[in-house]
Amino acid sequence: MLRQITGRLIEAFAALLLMSLVIFLLSRVTGDPVALLLSDSATEADRQMLIEQLHLDQPMWRQYLSFVGNALQGDFGQSVNAGRQDALDLVMSRLPASISLAAVALAFTLVVGIAMGVVAAVTRGSWIDVLVRVIALLGQSVPSFWLGIVLIYIVSVKWGLLPTSGYGTWQHYILPALTLGTFTLAAVTRLVRASMLDALGSEYVKLARVKGVSEATVIFKHALSNSLIPVVTFMGAFFATMITGAVVVETVFAWPGIGRLAYESIVSRDFPVIQTVVLVITAMFILANFAVDMLYLAIDPRMRDAG
Amino acid sequence: MIHTTRAALLSAAAATCLALPALAADGELVIATPTLSDQTMTPWSGSGQRKTYLDLVYEYLVYLDPEGNTEPGLAESWEMSNEGKTWTFHLREGVPFSDESCGDVTAEDVKYSIERLVAEDSRAGPASTMRRIIDTIDTPDDLTVVVNLKAPDFLLDKGYFGEAQQLGIVCKSYIEGLAAGADTAAPVGTGPYVLDHSTDGSEVVLTLRDIDHWRVSPDWETVAIRIVPEEATRVAMLQAGEADIAPVSFDSIAGLKDAGLRIVSAEKTWSPVIRLGGTVQTDEARFNKENPWSDVRVRQAMNYAIDKQAIIDELFAGEGTVANGDTPVAAWDSVQPYPYDPDKARELLAEAGYPDGFDMTLKTFATTPGAELPLMAEAAALYWADVGINATIEPGDWPSIRTEWTSGKALDFAMTHRGFPFPNPENGVEAGFSTQSLFASFTSDDLEALMAELAAETDPAARTEKLTEIGQYIRDQAGAVFMVLANEPWAVGPDVGEWVIDTAYVYNFDTVGKAE
Repeated sequence: MLRQITGRLIEAFAALLLMSLVIFLLSRVTGDPVALLLSDSATEADRQMLIEQLHLDQPMWRQYLSFVGNALQGDFGQSVNAGRQDALDLVMSRLPASISLAAVALAFTLVVGIAMGVVAAVTRGSWIDVLVRVIALLGQSVPSFWLGIVLIYIVSVKWGLLPTSGYGTWQHYILPALTLGTFTLAAVTRLVRASMLDALGSEYVKLARVKGVSEATVIFKHALSNSLIPVVTFMGAFFATMITGAVVVETVFAWPGIGRLAYESIVSRDFPVIQTVVLVITAMFILANFAVDMLYLAIDPRMRDAG
Repeated sequence: MIHTTRAALLSAAAATCLALPALAADGELVIATPTLSDQTMTPWSGSGQRKTYLDLVYEYLVYLDPEGNTEPGLAESWEMSNEGKTWTFHLREGVPFSDESCGDVTAEDVKYSIERLVAEDSRAGPASTMRRIIDTIDTPDDLTVVVNLKAPDFLLDKGYFGEAQQLGIVCKSYIEGLAAGADTAAPVGTGPYVLDHSTDGSEVVLTLRDIDHWRVSPDWETVAIRIVPEEATRVAMLQAGEADIAPVSFDSIAGLKDAGLRIVSAEKTWSPVIRLGGTVQTDEARFNKENPWSDVRVRQAMNYAIDKQAIIDELFAGEGTVANGDTPVAAWDSVQPYPYDPDKARELLAEAGYPDGFDMTLKTFATTPGAELPLMAEAAALYWADVGINATIEPGDWPSIRTEWTSGKALDFAMTHRGFPFPNPENGVEAGFSTQSLFASFTSDDLEALMAELAAETDPAARTEKLTEIGQYIRDQAGAVFMVLANEPWAVGPDVGEWVIDTAYVYNFDTVGKAE
């Protein structure tokens, strides 16, 4: 088990390092912040001065090495934007908004998705099953910016029930979480339905039924607990989808999270912030998968033995 | 213990329930804006986009009326001498800063504010050009500031020192007492509002000072400026009563009017234009003779070929006028725009040796304001196709296009662009058409000579005449494909009364009235 954990940690570190190189190069391919920070009537001398101030005059490999070296010591540099805030501070200050939104959306997805999946599986072939599958299909096909705007118009403008956008109270969470969760809701529903159908047709469920166990116990204790294993496997991926999918949702709902920070820093070619956002998201992705692996070891005895 | 916690939770929940829906409170003016830019709080630490909130806190030496004439600000009077190279400002007495330890504005504060704005690490838009002209600053007494320039600037009061620019006056002792890099600390100025709080990426909230302010007496206790990047969300906020003021697109105007909201337009505050790259004829490195539009007849043909009024009616909801230059300049009012004349365009193309037209690349991007630029590019290309010019449209984003544009190379493409009026139009001409500007797309020896003559002229009337002559020259030479002098529409909710926007970047949020 310890060997597994150590292996995972080494993999995680390698992934982060690779990601840092990819994002370092990618963000520099499409333009540099100097052109944006200069005023229209700037001269060549002004440009040189700014390049020096931002340390962009050094060769690329040296910029990368000093970035990695500093990052290892927890220094991710300063935003090239005027505030020159510490890039890590900036990302960390936006992180709670994103994580809390993702957590609420994930909770919504799991509760509703599992319920819908179970109902669909149990009523397989009936109109309820068809309805659930249609809802799941719609959820996966509707673009989230469209869903978000439609929800705002119906729930906030027409009915006046919830705030249109912004951040602060629990009411602010409802529409963005609904929008963000809808895509994964479809995935969870389909996943649970499929594995429930497998479980319901399995030998141990048949045995339980033969032994006269009540239908509710069969469904919830025997079948459901086993069908949730694939859901746990995908939870890390779901969580990551929510963080990355947040770019759109955070823009529509004016949510001050890292998704919008990522977008804004890309638009202004704010290299240090882009790098930090991507690395933090990567780290979270790795962490979520790591947590899922650990959870897996805890709930599935076969995995422990394999280790 | 458990009971009190539960009770507290319940009452908190009840309180938030009662707060629904989140309507703007009485006395609170809510402005939804696509960006707050850097959210830094000193004039020199970022772009002019921050003026939406900084202008409520800081004040300027000189203000402008809606016609663009100067009005006294923190300077009660001023005069220019030494052929435009010396400016003397006489400060208003007894204007207190919001921080008591600062006392009233003095000449030292003004001197410090100027020096800080033009310092090498300044990120203010006009810093580099101001640095080039400002020499020394003297303070003969507490209320007199003498600014000595290296080169004449006959419009320093309207331009760099006016309210449309970034020279907000700060309290010297307060700034010097802050740790270095404390540009996000609470700002201290002489304006009618003070910062309540600034939440990064979210909002800036200001509250009214409890004083009898010398310049304005605002109607709103609180002004909250919130970032709402998505236009559809801003429109929804207006309709739900969550926002009082928001910039909107031309597309939304009809719907908002139907919903009973009012539109306040800032007239001619930005100018969609198509700039033709590589025509910096005075710089070997940046002049691309291969471009068909290096021939003036081709540039003229490209202007004649487009029905700009149709584009204004269709894409800009009629909110604009056909452009006669690349930015709106009052001195160019007599300059006639190119009429729509495709036959003339074909004739000119044939004369220039392109009877069958040519292929070209037109790069475009969307921005705010400027969501219409890509569609405008499509429309222009359709009109050009009619006279044989085959433009391939390459959508991109501003950072990458601007990087290319200012690279100093001989460009072989055209781009859509969005200009703003310059408080001092001479600075605009310099940015677009002088060799020393990295951004310039069209220059010529004749134009350089005209600009030198303008710089040497000391008589105000003669200067205006010279500026008109320059405008006429740029128009005749077709220094760009001039498109639209566009308005900037803002929607206002039912609680807002009288409100006038002077010009780009001068939003007057401290004079927004309340509805009766």
